[in-house]
Amino acid sequence: MKITILYGTETGNTEMLSEDLESEFGSDHEIEVKNLSDVAPEDLDLTVFHVFLCSSYGDGELPASAKPFAEALGASDADLSGLRFAIFGLGDSDYETFGHGSEQLADMLVKHKAQQVGPRLIHDAQGGDLAEDLAFPWFEERVAEVEALSDAA
Amino acid sequence: MPHKIAILGAGPSGCYLAQSLLKLDDALEVDIIDRLPVPYGLVRYGVAPDHQGTKGVARQFARLFERQGVTFIGNLDVCTGDHGGEITLAELRELYDVVVLATGLPTDQKLGIEGEELDGVIGSGALTRAWNDHPDSHDLPPAETGKTVTVIGNGNVAMDIVRILSKGEGEFEGSDFGTHHAERIAAAGIEWIEVIGRSPAHMAKFDPVMVKEIGKSAGLRFEIADLQLSAGAEADNTRLQALATLAGIAPDDARCTVSFRFGWSPVRLVGAGGKLTGAHFTRADGSEALDLPSDTVITAIGFCDDARLGRAELVAGATDIDSGRLAPGLYAAGWFRRGPRGTIPENRADSQAVAAAIVEDLASLAASDKPGRAALQARFDRLTDYAAWQRIDEHERATVSEGRVRSKLRSRRDMLALALNETETPS
Repeated sequence: MKITILYGTETGNTEMLSEDLESEFGSDHEIEVKNLSDVAPEDLDLTVFHVFLCSSYGDGELPASAKPFAEALGASDADLSGLRFAIFGLGDSDYETFGHGSEQLADMLVKHKAQQVGPRLIHDAQGGDLAEDLAFPWFEERVAEVEALSDAA
Repeated sequence: MPHKIAILGAGPSGCYLAQSLLKLDDALEVDIIDRLPVPYGLVRYGVAPDHQGTKGVARQFARLFERQGVTFIGNLDVCTGDHGGEITLAELRELYDVVVLATGLPTDQKLGIEGEELDGVIGSGALTRAWNDHPDSHDLPPAETGKTVTVIGNGNVAMDIVRILSKGEGEFEGSDFGTHHAERIAAAGIEWIEVIGRSPAHMAKFDPVMVKEIGKSAGLRFEIADLQLSAGAEADNTRLQALATLAGIAPDDARCTVSFRFGWSPVRLVGAGGKLTGAHFTRADGSEALDLPSDTVITAIGFCDDARLGRAELVAGATDIDSGRLAPGLYAAGWFRRGPRGTIPENRADSQAVAAAIVEDLASLAASDKPGRAALQARFDRLTDYAAWQRIDEHERATVSEGRVRSKLRSRRDMLALALNETETPS
């Protein structure tokens, strides 16, 4: 399946997870990885399944590389109907704004009529799991869901 | 032969620089050199021990050494001038096509006022290094605090210090804060912490989340003064909002009061018999004065250069300091380049920009005939490598205390014994 992974990163941890997903699933799927800083909302191919990876930073804000995309989306009346997306967050439960970055991004996409597939999962930097140990099975499940949706259509 | 690059300093700026260089050109031969036997600099020794999430960036840096072909060369002190060291910067530049200085700014900025030499005055850098078990702290007397502590400064470093001093002994679960430090803080029985800075509250340098985090600790009551100086601030000012969340916390059985004050400049520290007894402040315009009885003052007003690499001269004579170009083949990144400003991610962006400048310059440089690390390995027989760090890392995780994630080796001697597989420690 064709999949576009878009990441918003501040420290590079989310970028690393994107690269890990590409290495892990790149032989089974046609995966393209892009930094959200290099993408405008009107660039999104609505026929392709999009996986967003997004951290939080500062006071529950979006990470720096996601901000221009979010600002452009917020200011536009783009209709993202037809776009299927899943979203995975990275956060740190030391802070009460845990996971706010990915939540904001998910809300914006849904508001613009994109269709969220499956739950938003948030990796906690305080927890014992590595981000990829959570993200790999989550990714496989989301891909299976989208395949099922496509088969049903 | 690929170009050989030596990055001085295995902290976040140096590691991000290596990462960015290899993204631009994965044929480069990149060595990261550190004067300590272990990598990660500020991530290991500056980031607060109870912020393990922030320390998580070290996973990215581990990849450099584990997968991306970067070589770690530890326990090598590069110095210039009268600072000792094992090899000079000039000598190192002979061995590599490019040398990048990313050693940060380790020295506590002084207040520059009377009484700073009194017993009981501690710099934030020295304190956080001690709390992180930096080997240079090992031979120093332990950082002791009294019952009444004044923290001067209101940036995130000050907030880290207030949080650690005000947490209960049981509130360090999941950290790598040594139990010896937690016990010492608990034994001090701190009853009052003043946090005081020059800026009005709405312009203070702390991040709001850092203030809110202090409020999560049990048994504290808070006092917030000087908010009249922020009367003109906008209603949605996030710093004022964060302080407001603390203002209501005042349990009857509080073990410690944390008092925030704003708009005060330190004028002098006072003492008796060489020992600190208080701090004197005034308003910037001299209109009011304030005396805070204190048996400990912790200064957290910023950092400066330690002069070991002649930074002042290098920066003053730089070809183009904005892009990190100091001289042909010599670059600076991170705080060494930009000064003591900005968080770890801001320095990531900085390192990306410097990497771009280096790769641009390398395009017009002939193929390398420099010996690189081979010359260092031939000359020095006590260098540590990444495998040595892995042995230390494994040991620190295996010998961990209850409720902690790591128990750090505290002396250079113990690190080297494990790193160099020495059964007998050197004298």
